[in-house]
This record gives sequence, structure tokens and C-alpha cells, in this order.
Amino acid sequence: MSESTGQASEEAVPATVLPLEIIDKSIGNEITVLMINDKEFTGKLVGFDDYVNMVLENVTERDNEGTSTIVRKKMLLNGGHVAMIIPAN
Amino acid sequence: MSEAEIESSKTNPSTFLSDIIGSSVTVKLHNGVEYSGNLQSIDGYMNIVLDEGKEVVGNTISRTYGDVFIRGNNVLYISEA
Amino acid sequence: MSTVRTEQQQQEPLDLIRFQLDEFVLVKLRGAREMKGRLQGYDSHCNMVLSEAQEFIYSEGDEEPTVKKTEMVFVRGDSVILISPIAE
Repeated sequence: MSESTGQASEEAVPATVLPLEIIDKSIGNEITVLMINDKEFTGKLVGFDDYVNMVLENVTERDNEGTSTIVRKKMLLNGGHVAMIIPAN
Repeated sequence: MSEAEIESSKTNPSTFLSDIIGSSVTVKLHNGVEYSGNLQSIDGYMNIVLDEGKEVVGNTISRTYGDVFIRGNNVLYISEA
Repeated sequence: MSTVRTEQQQQEPLDLIRFQLDEFVLVKLRGAREMKGRLQGYDSHCNMVLSEAQEFIYSEGDEEPTVKKTEMVFVRGDSVILISPIAE
């Protein structure tokens, strides 16, 4: 992608950060997942695949009113309707 | 956590699925309806078969099924019950 | 993802449907509809052909659904939510 040849020294070229790397770094940490229908899931990310299907632990589910929260011990969230993934820190 | 520890504690979706086969699960669909039952089988499309499936709308069981096949495109999540 | 296999559980979900060929099934569809009928055939998209079929259309307010009977019907898979055998 941004392979620059020639003069650029190593520190001058900021390494490209791939989107999935950000998610990979979040494994073991709390994340919030926003769905395209305004639903929200917050929990510890334990794994994901190329479709961004995710395995989450201790999950709270919030729907569009932001009120009802349901807690799940461990779940597989379908990546098909994910809009955004936010690492908690 | 060290890299190695993270690697070993990681559960990818496919690992999770093979781990929970045979256990009691809750499946939530995009239309808000939930199904709970024993997970008989699942494939890469998230097509699911539950036995002793209970259909939960809101907080009430509206129906029960002996076996039920759920088409994967409707699935929002699968969780351990 | 598509290669999930455990030892005894070689079955895949569509096998449940295969076992229902020539039997009566209940198909729940999008748009508050259901179909009951004898399963003549299906494919991996859940396209299905049902014979001796009845369609139940639920509309808001009405307790009783509208029922339509059809000798033979093709159901397109993309509107299928679930399929379940009917206990006779």
C-alpha cells in the first residue's frame, strides 16, 4: 500500500495500521460494538474472524432507547450488521 | 498479559461454535425474537438447529418446537444460556 | 468458520430439512406469515416447494390469521426465518 522506496528512513514513514489490527489489539479488552440498527453491545473481546463476527464475554446489550440491558456470559455476535467497533480505552 | 497468553485465551468464532455444540443456548434474531434450546448443529452461514426450541417474544414463551432450523441470515447473536 | 467439525457431530443444519422431505413442515416467513405443507424439495438457500400447502397471514389486531390453501407452492429462501417439523 504505502511502500515508499528510496530516501524515506524507517521512522519517517508511519507504519500503516490495518483496521483488523486495531481489533486484534483489543483482544482481552473491553470493547463497544455499535450495530447499524442503533443496538449496542459492550463486553470483553475474546476473538473475531475476517467477517468481524466476534466472540464477547460478559456482554451488556443496550437497545436504541439506551435503557434495557441484558447481560450474557459469552456470545458470538454476527458481524453482518456491525457498524462500528470502539475499544473502551 | 503476554502475547502467548493472549493467543491461548483467544476464542475465535469457529472455536466458540464447536465448543458450544450440544449445550443450551439462546439465539437472538434481528427481528428481536429469541430462541433457546439445545444446539444440535450450526454451519458457516450461522444456520442453526435447536432441539426443544422455545420461542421467546419479549419475556414470554410464545411457542415451543421439537426441532427447529433457523436460517442464518436472521441471526444477531448466539450466546450460552 | 465453514469448517466447524466435531467428532460425532458431522451433521449440518440443512440435514434436519433433508429428514423432513415428504413430511409436513411449518415454515415461518418474514412479514408475519407462515406456511404449512408437505416438503417436496429444497435447496441450500432454503428455497422450497411445498404441496398441500396452507398459508397463514397474521395481521395486527386480528386474532385469527387469513388462511390461503394452495396445491403446490414455491417459497423463496430469502424470506424464510425458520423451518420446523410438524408433530402429527
